[in-house]
Amino acid sequence: MKLKSKYYLAWAKDEKIRKKGANGGFVTATLVSALENDFIDAALVFEKKSVYEGIPVLTSDPEVVKKCAGSLHGVPINLTRFVVEYAAKKRIGLPTKPCDARGIIEQAKRRQVNLDNIFMIGLNCGGTLHPLRMREMAAVFYGLDPDSVVREEIKEGKIFLISEEEGGEEKEKWMKIDELEQKGYGRRDACKSCTVKIPTMADLACGNWGVPQGEEKTFVEVCSEKGGAIFENAMESGYVEAEEAPGKGIEARKKIEAGMQKLAASWKERMDEVSTLSRSERFEFYVDELKNCIHCGACKAVCPVCACEDDSKCLDMNDERDSYAISMYNVLRIFHLMDSCIHCGQCEDVCPVDIPLTLIQRRFSERMQRHLGYVPGMDITEKPPLYETELRWSARVE
Amino acid sequence: MEMETKSSICPGCSIGCGLYLLQAEEGEERKIKILHRPTSPMNEGKLCKFGTDLHMYYEREVLNNSVEGGEVKQEEAIREAKERLKGFKPDELAFIALPSTITNEEILSFVSLASEFGCENVSFGFERFFREIPEEASYIIERGLPFSEVEKATKIILFFLDPFVHYPLLARRILKAKKNGARVIEVSFAKNERKIADEVVLVEPMEIERIKEKKEMFADSLIIGELTPYTDSQFLALMLWLTASTSSRLFLFKPFLNSTGAILFGKGSGRGDLSEIIEGIERGEIKALYSLETDIAGAMLGGEEVAETISKLDLLIEQNAFRTPLSDVANITICSEPFFMKKGTIVNIEGRLLDIGGESEKGLQAMESMGKGRTYEEVHEEVKRKLGLAEISEFEIAVKREEKSFEMAEPKAEIEEIKGEEGYFLRYKTNPFFWNGIQSKNFVEISPAAMRKLGLFRGDEVEVVQGERKERMGFKISELPDYLILSEAKMSIKPLYVAEPHRMEMLTRVELRRAKR
Ligand SMILES: Cc1cc2nc3c(=O)[nH]c(=O)nc-3n(C[C@H](O)[C@H](O)[C@H](O)COP(=O)(O)OP(=O)(O)OC[C@H]3O[C@@H](n4cnc5c(N)ncnc54)[C@H](O)[C@@H]3O)c2cc1C
Ligand code: SF4
Ligand code: SF4
Ligand code: SF4
Ligand code: SF4
Repeated sequence: MKLKSKYYLAWAKDEKIRKKGANGGFVTATLVSALENDFIDAALVFEKKSVYEGIPVLTSDPEVVKKCAGSLHGVPINLTRFVVEYAAKKRIGLPTKPCDARGIIEQAKRRQVNLDNIFMIGLNCGGTLHPLRMREMAAVFYGLDPDSVVREEIKEGKIFLISEEEGGEEKEKWMKIDELEQKGYGRRDACKSCTVKIPTMADLACGNWGVPQGEEKTFVEVCSEKGGAIFENAMESGYVEAEEAPGKGIEARKKIEAGMQKLAASWKERMDEVSTLSRSERFEFYVDELKNCIHCGACKAVCPVCACEDDSKCLDMNDERDSYAISMYNVLRIFHLMDSCIHCGQCEDVCPVDIPLTLIQRRFSERMQRHLGYVPGMDITEKPPLYETELRWSARVE
Repeated sequence: MEMETKSSICPGCSIGCGLYLLQAEEGEERKIKILHRPTSPMNEGKLCKFGTDLHMYYEREVLNNSVEGGEVKQEEAIREAKERLKGFKPDELAFIALPSTITNEEILSFVSLASEFGCENVSFGFERFFREIPEEASYIIERGLPFSEVEKATKIILFFLDPFVHYPLLARRILKAKKNGARVIEVSFAKNERKIADEVVLVEPMEIERIKEKKEMFADSLIIGELTPYTDSQFLALMLWLTASTSSRLFLFKPFLNSTGAILFGKGSGRGDLSEIIEGIERGEIKALYSLETDIAGAMLGGEEVAETISKLDLLIEQNAFRTPLSDVANITICSEPFFMKKGTIVNIEGRLLDIGGESEKGLQAMESMGKGRTYEEVHEEVKRKLGLAEISEFEIAVKREEKSFEMAEPKAEIEEIKGEEGYFLRYKTNPFFWNGIQSKNFVEISPAAMRKLGLFRGDEVEVVQGERKERMGFKISELPDYLILSEAKMSIKPLYVAEPHRMEMLTRVELRRAKR
């Protein structure tokens, strides 16, 4: 069987997977099929500990993959560095938000992973929430005991929290995302301003946008031959069922995407504290924030596009004995990532002194990327303008 | 290759930041990677350098079971330890554990093991303070405060504490308090290089007590200070007096992860103090020492002398996961598991009872097999019973504190004149690496005046001199008073109160020279 179209509504044949899945359980069923049919050696998925916590697990056990079905919006972890660390020489399959997929592609350009061995099952992404802000949100705005929340869902611009009351009864409450975000809650700052919503750079792009209301199906866009191959195989081996997506659904999805991108652009403008400042005020802002750096190295360790490891340029020029207003580490890191930063917010998330790193980085990289006409992480054939890929001597893969 | 991800706790300091520890095995190789855990309420997914680099801490050489240098099976090391301990009189024995990697359950087990041998010299590093202060004030030493209290405070006094260095994950809470409108006042020998304070009150080393004249400034504040085995008694008395006489609250940070657990569960009559134990060994009164996951030579300043003192023992038993200078000279070594593998709990500085996340009971069982022979569950139940808890949740403050008013006599005595070389004062700034026996810096901070005076240039080195001791170091120019030298590096130079270790301070007089090029 050959896939005739680019867009499908698809679902897991196994009713249990379909029920547990975020939408149609397609992603889980496809990963299970890829494992069973020897497309991949392992899958990298999130094991749910609570609505506020998912732990990344790399597994070759299909049962574990099944257990990990469902979306966790309170898990803002980027999977790129796991792939580099543990799967450089393995064939793996994993769900990827756009920022996961973009990070992996940038790593592949730097020869840290081989894309032929990686099956990226993309997830559309409206954004993630910080889990602790989500707990506060549950208590303050939903009037719930955070620990009683057993499920969450984001649809139609609302965040639904489903709690389990005494006696096992479930209760659903919702609030509009907009309203929560006006109050300083809701999605992470990086997500609010993230404009890549559908991961077409992955092998498949899956989501609920475009799925008729009330139907337990996943909207799937086939983005690469590899993606088509595992999709077909999942159907042929009976894990997945699919139908062509109706034109109305395709249109609806496009429209929502455009709306989300517009919203992201307006958030970006609203959150940009830097551009409107005068040059000296701006310098003061940088110094005031970056002086707090304690040189923990976390921002470097989590960055999905940084592949330096022991060859770190930012560390080479840094000396803790210097007394500059902004350390060489910070300056060089900003400059070195100017062409490739994907503004995923990981660095800011882990910064122990809460420096708005993504905001600062954006100020430099966005203009640079616009000027060079380079959008990182979208296309493996496009080399980063700084051409570092050709300079590398510590490639992990051929 | 399968990858296992565990929730774990950083043992670097008493904040107890949560993290994920990833282990992957590929052939012979076991890789550990540290990942941020955003769900953790202590640190919200952030770590300092110690936590970020924690895999290195765990990649040290593991300790074997041994008797007199010969490798043996664990049972044999345990049997031998028990037999030999029996050969000493109770007052010839001492048990010490600086509680960095020690669980509440192990603390109970350790205390009960010591009592099996009738030993009353048990130290977790903080005992003497309880004797030196009024009983009603002891809650301040015993219990910390949740970070939400720091964020809510309207006035914060940083009392000789640089949060960015000493307790890095405290710094953002103070920054948050500032954003919420708090006024931050810093009382210190030198201005914080990150200018965190709205107001800085600089104090001269010989005139610490003069801060009493500024008592009004402390009114209704949250004073944040530090309590370590080095803290001077008068200094603690001063902090308590300022607290008591200005209706303030005092939040004392402590360096070792499970300091709160050790204080709560190690409490009891007749505990010895660390410095007294070291003195006892020096005098030959204490002849046998059981050290639990504590490299006193590595953790303390003046490690060489401590090591020399230790060598006077007839019996040294070291139970640890990793090799240390102390385990190298121990008569018996008992191998326990690395911290992340442990089954057990700790109490962080905020009072949260935290599950470490491991499954191993090896260290605990080593002690129980010499002592009462209880199961892990029995000991764990005792922990919960003592805390009055049915369940463990990292989101709850299990060890709460209630502010009480107490009387505190005004500390009168002048801080004794600090003897030593003329010229400069050296102050150690401790960070998590310092307390965990890891050298993280190779330079000292000096004033621009000192640089000019010594004619130093970029790339030069300095010598910090104290009598016979000399340390060659790099230097950094900081905005310091002319006479001050700050060091995060651990050097052989130490405070001069060696003869009276309990009078030790982190300040000492030294000479500063330009090192020969
Ligand atoms: C944070 C987030 C935001 C999303 N926002 C949108 C949106 O705005 N619009 C839209 O159309 N679709 C969105 N999706 C995708 C949608 O929720 C479903 O994941 C997708 O439709 C696939 O459904 P499924 O039933 O086939 O997946 P499932 O079979 O349920 O499989 C989902 C897989 O995703 C993994 N996963 C769970 N949480 C995460 C996470 N945080 N990061 C990475 N992987 C994770 C699970 O472990 C599982 O393997 C989002 C998904 C996530 C995780
Ligand atoms: S940065 Fe973009 S892709 Fe990544 S989690 Fe946020 S919204 Fe999703
Ligand atoms: S610099 Fe920060 S925002 Fe940019 S890619 Fe790296 S982690 Fe993401
Ligand atoms: S994460 Fe923050 S504190 Fe750590 S090195 Fe980066 S900027 Fe500095
Ligand atoms: S050393 Fe302390 S502050 Fe640093 S990560 Fe560990 S527990 Fe947190």
